[in-house]
Amino acid sequence: MILAGVLLLFALILPALPLGSWQPFALDTAQFAFLLSGLALSWDLLARTGQLSLAHGAFFGLGAYTAALAAPALGTLPALLAGGVVAAAGSFLLGLATLRLHGMYFAIATLAFSEVMRTFVLKAGFTGGSIGMIVAPPFDGRFPLGGYYLAVTVLGLCVLTSYLVSRSRLSYAMAAIRQGEAVARVLGVPVVRVKLVAFLLSSALAGLAGGVYGMKTLFLSPYDAFSLGRAVEALVIPIFGGLYTTTGPLVGGLLLVGLETWLRLRIGEGYLVVYGVLLILAILFLPRGLVGWFSRRRGGRHA
Amino acid sequence: MKLTVSDLTAGYAKAQVLFGMSLELGQGELVAVLGANGAGKTTTLRAISGLIRPWGGEIRLDGQSLAGLSAARRAALGLGHVPEGRQLFPLMSVEENLLLGAAFLAWERRQESLEFTYALFPRLSERRGQLAGTLSGGEQQMLAIGRALMGRPRILMVDEPSLGLSPKLAEEVLATLARIKAEGMGVLLVEQNVALSLEVADRAYVVEHGKVVLAGPAQELAQDERVQKAYLAL
Repeated sequence: MILAGVLLLFALILPALPLGSWQPFALDTAQFAFLLSGLALSWDLLARTGQLSLAHGAFFGLGAYTAALAAPALGTLPALLAGGVVAAAGSFLLGLATLRLHGMYFAIATLAFSEVMRTFVLKAGFTGGSIGMIVAPPFDGRFPLGGYYLAVTVLGLCVLTSYLVSRSRLSYAMAAIRQGEAVARVLGVPVVRVKLVAFLLSSALAGLAGGVYGMKTLFLSPYDAFSLGRAVEALVIPIFGGLYTTTGPLVGGLLLVGLETWLRLRIGEGYLVVYGVLLILAILFLPRGLVGWFSRRRGGRHA
Repeated sequence: MKLTVSDLTAGYAKAQVLFGMSLELGQGELVAVLGANGAGKTTTLRAISGLIRPWGGEIRLDGQSLAGLSAARRAALGLGHVPEGRQLFPLMSVEENLLLGAAFLAWERRQESLEFTYALFPRLSERRGQLAGTLSGGEQQMLAIGRALMGRPRILMVDEPSLGLSPKLAEEVLATLARIKAEGMGVLLVEQNVALSLEVADRAYVVEHGKVVLAGPAQELAQDERVQKAYLAL
């Protein structure tokens, strides 16, 4: 939590640092890193119940499209909230149908959901279909740093939720479900209800992050907003950083986006090959992520 | 609190396992359900705790039917279940395992439960920081029982606690069940180890092919010729 505070402070003063001509680029990259870390934190929240979701790209996209469509009528902040609510509503429907499924089967169902959502947005008239849609900047562009600070806020919210959940009664219930659902049931854990709460929280946060993302890129297309790549990033980051923790997805997200950007600048074409190799190495040699590696080096046991 | 199971039928898919299982358990009583592998003992426990839905028959707690209640609801009503094979969380510490057993209790009550469980199992208290997977078999079984006690059940169902334990450890584990009984709980013990169970139990049911074939006070059953022949190898 101290680390999160330091990072937050850094995020707040970053726009004031003398970066010269690099500043716009640094802020843009940081904003993207914050949103992806937020998405990763939200994914991890659900993963704590043992459910592997491939629908987080879709929740992200749902939030992005809803916020973009609602912003002209409602204003920026209510529109973002609406994005979170719509994403949560989507997860509620999906959850009712699928939360009794386990592991692989749940993952496949969420994958199907995300494809259905993309097809829907592709075919529906009001979304601009495959051409995509133009998104207004937050607060009608009155504050140049508005989008940046919205991303900081969303990330802060994700960190706070993740931390509070890990300190609450829910965390025990989640850990029990993850490690043995039948035992959790006889120990008195209302399994489906806990999963549903985790799913709702998780998707609402993903939707919020998506909303800010849309207002950052100023343009949305179904291929980008609902891409499977985003769903994969949402799970790669926590695995790289350390599953079921707050620090893991947070640090993992910032580092991975930083690394990816740096490689793109240094190597240019084909940088994803190097990025992929580094990820594979990380998974081979850091089976419990950065957090697990650090706590082992300190001689402590990761709880 | 009194548990009554009457004429229970249940099974998996098309394979019927229970054919009219009946039993009773009162507070402060240790009752053993004995029988060979596949007789339906575990299935009975799973039906009582709500892990499977029975096909027919009734399960009542203090006269109130449990039909339609979720496993979590039944646990909250006071049914504790120590599943077969312990099912611990091996990569978590002893204390974390115990706390997981009280996931639905408020914080203050959880601390109370922890003290109660440690008082009953001092050995767990000594090892509270150790990973559950590194405990000995007997300690693991005690942890599984302790974890179920964390939810403050009034009836505790224990499935094959002696499985995989040396005779001495098995005896130790079954002796702890007698201490739990002394705390006023009802204990339903499912066991294949007939001789040992009859030593600690007040009453026992002998189960064959999904129903009770013999019932009575443990001492009487230990003397019964049929029991001696079939299960005690005397």
